[in-house]
Amino acid sequence: MSKIEIENLTVDYVAKNERFTALDDVSFSVGTGEFVSVIGSSGCGKSTLLSIMEGINHPTAGRILIDGKPVEGTGAERGVVFQHYSLFPWMTARKNVAFGVKQVKSDASKKERLKIADRFLKKVGLEKFKNKYPSQLSGGMQQRVAIARALAMDTDILLMDEPFGAIDAKNRTILQELLLSLWEGDGTKERKTVVFVTHDIDEAILLSDKIVMMTGSPGRVYKEIEVPFERPRNRAKLIETNEYNKFRNKLLSLFYSDIRSKIGGEEVVL
Amino acid sequence: MSFKKRYLRTVHLLFIVLLLIHLIPNKLPGDTFGSYVIWFAVGLEVLTLILSAVIKKPLGLNLFLDIVGFIFGFLIIWTLATAKLNIINPALFPPPGKVFKQLIEDNKKIFVNIISSLGIILQGYLLGAVVAIPLGLFLGCSARLGSAATYISKFFGAIPPIVYIPYGIALLPTFRSVSVFVIFLATFWPVLAGTMSGVMNVDKKTIDSAKVLNVNKLSMLFSVILPASLPEIFIGCNQGLTVSFILLTSAEMIGARSGLGYYIKNYSDFGDYTRTLVGLIVIGVVIVFISFLFNKLQKYLLRWKY
Repeated sequence: MSKIEIENLTVDYVAKNERFTALDDVSFSVGTGEFVSVIGSSGCGKSTLLSIMEGINHPTAGRILIDGKPVEGTGAERGVVFQHYSLFPWMTARKNVAFGVKQVKSDASKKERLKIADRFLKKVGLEKFKNKYPSQLSGGMQQRVAIARALAMDTDILLMDEPFGAIDAKNRTILQELLLSLWEGDGTKERKTVVFVTHDIDEAILLSDKIVMMTGSPGRVYKEIEVPFERPRNRAKLIETNEYNKFRNKLLSLFYSDIRSKIGGEEVVL
Repeated sequence: MSFKKRYLRTVHLLFIVLLLIHLIPNKLPGDTFGSYVIWFAVGLEVLTLILSAVIKKPLGLNLFLDIVGFIFGFLIIWTLATAKLNIINPALFPPPGKVFKQLIEDNKKIFVNIISSLGIILQGYLLGAVVAIPLGLFLGCSARLGSAATYISKFFGAIPPIVYIPYGIALLPTFRSVSVFVIFLATFWPVLAGTMSGVMNVDKKTIDSAKVLNVNKLSMLFSVILPASLPEIFIGCNQGLTVSFILLTSAEMIGARSGLGYYIKNYSDFGDYTRTLVGLIVIGVVIVFISFLFNKLQKYLLRWKY
């Protein structure tokens, strides 16, 4: 059975008295321990989709099942990382992580929670910065803390909404590799189920088992593509292979053919 | 910091000028108690030299030296205008030495009056904040209640609390309780408005990040919404504090039998302008001291912002 089942999800907004369909009959499924990326250009509804999975938005029609049960609101089995503002600015990195742990392990003592926080901050390489406030950390460091918190909460599912979208190219690469190695683990533990929203094709290929490509206005699933590369993956080795380039070109042409059809066909020079 | 930056400062020149002008013979008849000014200046100069050697941050040292420099400069002008040249009315503006002497002689009386004033402020102010903050949190959480309450608090906040004094006097038994009541009102409305505005302006993304962590209602209120609105709560608290002092001293001048406002009013009624000036200086120093402590508290509680 799949971990997450998205069934005929439709979301309508009314803005300035105009009805506007953000998602139109979106369906796909995510298997247990699967890493699925949702990719598409801005405004295709991918973030709306994720916000419904998070439980902070509600669909007009359709539903999402997690372990067979319909999602109603937020849930303790889902951890979330946003692009911005995931952290509470008045808490240090350590307190932010411990606060997350408190919500899932209310019986743990304060000392235990801080211990867990320290362990996960170490995993993301921030043990020296644990007593800093978010305003004292760079954007990349803040996202590391957000990832540490999501992992420390040890939820079955991780929902990530363009977590590296605002990070510079070099740090993004580092963070992608960090996430990859933390998620792949050493094979002794069951992997988490991840839904990862991005607009970066290379990021999607490197990380995912499956890529769900979306098109905009209204948001629909355009293609679902399995990523054929073996794990554990290594970026440097992967990008040198012919298979990678072929696969990447295929994805790019799919991505652009969609845009071309949207804006009126061949006469448009891209 | 270099030796030059530490010790070769204008403030020391002003200190020497202040000493030197005391060599000029007095034009004002009678004793002007110049020695009190000299002792005060020497004390301040010694403190300045000690701090110059100790303070590490150049900005902090500059601030302190500039303030001391202002005090020396002010004393020079004051001494010249009164004792030395006698160009302003000595009945209204006694020389600084006389004021310092009076300050020292009256120290017990002044201390009692400070305690009396601070007691009333503290009681009214804390009561106002303790009621307004939880109420503001509660009202601000509901968009509908919050917007209505914002207009209502603007209406009541716009009325100068001093106009409630007649009602206070008619309804409450003692002058003290009237003062506490008026200060309570002066604090309550701005703190309530600040808290509600803070709560209603909490970034939706902050609320969403808390929601996806599955925090319960109590944590949401006290661990998320309260700290997120703290900057605006402090704006209200600051406003309340400023108004409270103005109100208290004005109220004390109307009907009290103690307090710093009473001290000033009582002696100015008798034409004792030496003590009036003593009262003015003490009120100024007390307010500066309280705002200093308040700023420290604010900086500490909002340290994540800086």
